[in-house]
Amino acid sequence: MSLRNTDDRWAWPSMTLHWLIAVLILALLAVGWVMVDLPRTPRYFWVYDLHKSIGLTVLALMLLRLGWRLYAGAPRPVPGTGAAQHLAAQAVHVAIYVVALAMPISGWLYDSASGLRALKFFGMVTVPKLVAPDPQLKDLSHGVHEWGAWVLIALIVAHAGAALVHHLVQRDRTLWRMLPASFEQSR
Amino acid sequence: MWKWMLLLGAALAVPAAARGADWQADPAASSLEFSGAAEGEAFTGRFKQFTPLIRFDPADLGGSRFEVDIDLASADTQNAERDETLRGSDFFSVARFPRASYLATAFRDLGGGRYAADGTLTLRGIAKPVTLEFIWSAQGEGATLEGKATVQRLDFDVGAGDWADDSTVAHAIGVSTRLTLRAR
Repeated sequence: MSLRNTDDRWAWPSMTLHWLIAVLILALLAVGWVMVDLPRTPRYFWVYDLHKSIGLTVLALMLLRLGWRLYAGAPRPVPGTGAAQHLAAQAVHVAIYVVALAMPISGWLYDSASGLRALKFFGMVTVPKLVAPDPQLKDLSHGVHEWGAWVLIALIVAHAGAALVHHLVQRDRTLWRMLPASFEQSR
Repeated sequence: MWKWMLLLGAALAVPAAARGADWQADPAASSLEFSGAAEGEAFTGRFKQFTPLIRFDPADLGGSRFEVDIDLASADTQNAERDETLRGSDFFSVARFPRASYLATAFRDLGGGRYAADGTLTLRGIAKPVTLEFIWSAQGEGATLEGKATVQRLDFDVGAGDWADDSTVAHAIGVSTRLTLRAR
């Protein structure tokens, strides 16, 4: 079994990173959505810490995924994909990589520039602050993080929507290729 | 005869009191700051509005007096969320207690230009003793006061309840002030 992706389908390292990061990003959006409305007391600080810890996990996984993508390549578009369709897919993929990296970085910057509390990664290790407290950078990074969330939601809708169109309307192998081969064989 | 002696006494006393030492602070060159730590992360803040009434004469500690009025809502820690929490009911509760005050009438000479004021801080309606140690340096018509004190926040119910733990917000809050003064 190849670790690298083939022209025909994704191999398990890429698949694992894709689905793991997908689940973590959906969790981050949900936790982020809820936590901003919580009362700001130490009773609920664990929710913020959880969001930040998962976010830093996504940052590490995204860097790993970017490196792996460059090393392991990607399958070719399924036969019959038009040039415009392929270009649109590529553009969304690049945008998701950019935003999925920009979100944890802007969040980390926001945490750092706020200078409110030391952050412990899943309650274990103290995470260094990227910058000294800075109200202007705090507002800027917060803006990027908040708008980035909306952009990310739009990209996820486009990406998942396109996958479903491939699967249900065009009835091609695009989605199968991102699922374990045994799933496709047993359908 | 007694009448004349009284008049003479008054004539001597009035200039002495005037010389005695009332000082006017220059707001632009004066500061009142506080510092602490929240879950290991240090923070500093300052009160943008405070009014120090300073009567001080190293040669007349018994006649000296500090009276400082502090606008708690003017606290600025360079973070809007933290400032809002600070003004809220768990901390300063400015809606109920908009001002804090410090009154000192007992002074000690610690030597070398250093003094201690044994005063009373009133915060959130609670009055407790707080000692301010300061360096006094006078030159001509001007003087500067550089002082430090430590306030135990829970003495004044500041951040009680959910915030009471020392590891959440350190109990000891450092207060430092610098006053640039001009003789009245």
